[in-house]
Amino acid sequence: MQLEPTDEQIALREAVRRFAEAETPLETVRSLYEHREGFCREWWREAARLGWTSLFIPEAQGGGTVSGRPASDAVIVSEEIGRLVSPGPFLPVNIVAATIARAGSDEQIASLLPGLAEGETFAAWAFAESGDRWSPRDFETTISVSGTEVTISGEKTYVEAAGVANHILVTGRGGGGLSQVLVPADAQGLRVVTGRSIDMTRRYARVILDRVRLPATALIGAPGSAQHDVEAQLQLALALQCSEMIGVAERVFETTIEYGRERFAFGRPIVSFQALKHRIADMALWIEGAKAVGEELTHAVDREAAEASTLASVAKVHIGRRCLDIVDDCVQITGGLGVTWEQDIHLYNRRAAVNRAMFGSPEFHRHRLLGLICPEAPSAETQEGAAP
Amino acid sequence: MTETLETFISRARTWLATGLPSRRDSPVDDVALQNTIYDAGFAGIAFPKEYGGAGLTLEHHAAFYQAADELGRQLPTKYWVSIGMVAPLLLEWASDQIKREFLPRILRGDIVVIQLLSEPRGGSALAGVSTRLTLAGEHYQLSGQKMWSTNAHLADYGLCLARSNWDVPKHQGLAMILVPLKHVDGVRVSRTRLADGSLGDVCEEFFDGLRIPASNLVGAEGDGWAVARALMAHERNQTAGVGYGYLGGADTRVMVVDRSEFAADLMATARARATLAAHGQTLADVYVDSLVTSLTSARIMRGQMVGTHDGNWGSAGKLLGSEDGHRAARAHLETLGADGVVWDGDTIENENAGTAWLLARTSTIGGGTSEIQRNIISERLLGLPREPSFDRDVPFSQVRSSAAKP
Repeated sequence: MQLEPTDEQIALREAVRRFAEAETPLETVRSLYEHREGFCREWWREAARLGWTSLFIPEAQGGGTVSGRPASDAVIVSEEIGRLVSPGPFLPVNIVAATIARAGSDEQIASLLPGLAEGETFAAWAFAESGDRWSPRDFETTISVSGTEVTISGEKTYVEAAGVANHILVTGRGGGGLSQVLVPADAQGLRVVTGRSIDMTRRYARVILDRVRLPATALIGAPGSAQHDVEAQLQLALALQCSEMIGVAERVFETTIEYGRERFAFGRPIVSFQALKHRIADMALWIEGAKAVGEELTHAVDREAAEASTLASVAKVHIGRRCLDIVDDCVQITGGLGVTWEQDIHLYNRRAAVNRAMFGSPEFHRHRLLGLICPEAPSAETQEGAAP
Repeated sequence: MTETLETFISRARTWLATGLPSRRDSPVDDVALQNTIYDAGFAGIAFPKEYGGAGLTLEHHAAFYQAADELGRQLPTKYWVSIGMVAPLLLEWASDQIKREFLPRILRGDIVVIQLLSEPRGGSALAGVSTRLTLAGEHYQLSGQKMWSTNAHLADYGLCLARSNWDVPKHQGLAMILVPLKHVDGVRVSRTRLADGSLGDVCEEFFDGLRIPASNLVGAEGDGWAVARALMAHERNQTAGVGYGYLGGADTRVMVVDRSEFAADLMATARARATLAAHGQTLADVYVDSLVTSLTSARIMRGQMVGTHDGNWGSAGKLLGSEDGHRAARAHLETLGADGVVWDGDTIENENAGTAWLLARTSTIGGGTSEIQRNIISERLLGLPREPSFDRDVPFSQVRSSAAKP
């Protein structure tokens, strides 16, 4: 059972929408295509003042939630970001902030969170490894502790906003399980190879860690005990990403129907043809389903409920697949114009395709679901392996 | 002067506490329950007293069901159509004579009236029915065939949509009439044998010059389409929980069966058969779709309560739930492979994935096909324009149809 949005949450949605429409309309998104970082830092500080960065941060460090349920606040922002394919590292900054707030030391909380909250500093989460590996079980990056020092070696890929990040949260193996460490951008042995994506404004990077040595105080939590935090980060990332895809799909859906009402063929609006209407009806229900499962996931994330793991994968399978189905078919309905640079729909398709792939594709999450719902009977070889 | 809601609720609760059996008691037959409710004066609460009702309002009616639910009383459910849809329709459209003759017996549960709408040559295009109604003196004669009528084999009467005029466009030539189904000549009711060999609760009715008193007409000749629409409106009200009949719960079209457990079982089966690599992605989708459909239907029901989703959203639950059911049955067939369609022994067995799949399309067709649901969603929910139709303004006798007309 989900909760209806509070008055404050409705106000948050309106404020985010007004801000996005005024500051980053689609012409601005287009112009940011040429921008190396994909967004302007002054604009990000403004977004931070509106609360984009503060939802998971305690009030003492300059943060604060709107409803007391930070995930359900944050998905409102990301849905609106999706509706206007807005720029900015909303997802990585909030994931890292939430992790520091939940599992960081007092020192980390006090020194890192205020900068993130104010929009002065940036953070990235280095999670996946090359070859589309999103399951920690397949990671090769090591985080080893020796005395008061920690050494990190390996290579991370598809890291959003690593190029601007002051701190990179690295997930790796060590201490007999998963460990996480915050690597400052100026650490010796750290190399960030910036890259681009098909999205207009979203920038990714490869993060190479060549025996990076840091004081053990850079660890988040105890060595080998990050499994729970990593799963929570993944769930939150999927909740934010899925709500963004809902915004993307719904906006494209609305725009396409509007277009189809005005576009006439054979003397009738093209959306009067059953061949289109039936597809549009399916899309409407996919969007309704996306909202239903998205809300359920968000609620489970806020409660740290056990079913959040399954729901996160269910949401990604449904929304990752259907969001792409919708924007893909809306190009078809828009006709030739739909594949031109001038028409805005490709801005949305770009975001949809990148989101579909990040944090595991629907194919990956179907596989993960099989493991969660119907685990293999433990055998000698597989007993050690945690759920993917 | 109408009894106040407060007084009524207190009177109803007092009676309910002993008048009806508890849900914890052994189940009592629906007819006995309805008789008891009627005799205590709580049947047809929103119907006028002269027709056997209690002369109160729908608010009183809803309050009675709420009280019965809170007190955990047994309630009859088999009068969903008879009392929930047909009775209020008769109240609006039928003659005083019909109301006096039928309503008290319907409300007491002594007779059951079902709907006779679909025909072998067309169900989705309801206004195109071709069962023939002809006036012959004091009587009408009915000839033709109806199909997919639920529980007709148990019913006393059917509310039948028939064509009385073939020379006007389809919507204008229809009439609605109360048709006797028991103890008369000229009608044969037979349960439809389904593709798996079983007898369903749906029936076919063959009418061959069945004589019906002319006074059984509901509305005038030519009003049939308006009456049919009114009947559908009562169905919507019933499912939305604001109707005249049993109000035991939420919108049945929105409520769906959760098949995620079934999908999980199929996964285990595939793992045991060492075919999960082949079937895993499909089975995960069955799981995901089922869970998403359950959550969607819950969201719509909540939306109907707070007013963000109107009654047309019922089509969403119907479409999603039935399509999921088909997909699950098909995945079952695929997962079991040869072992789902072949078995040892010489006896015919119906408990297998293959036979179940033979009927898997039932729910995507019955109660309005998936295509009709998509029309409703696109036209009524999204406001997209209707398809042009070729039979709207043409005399029915000149409309092309699936087979030659009689």
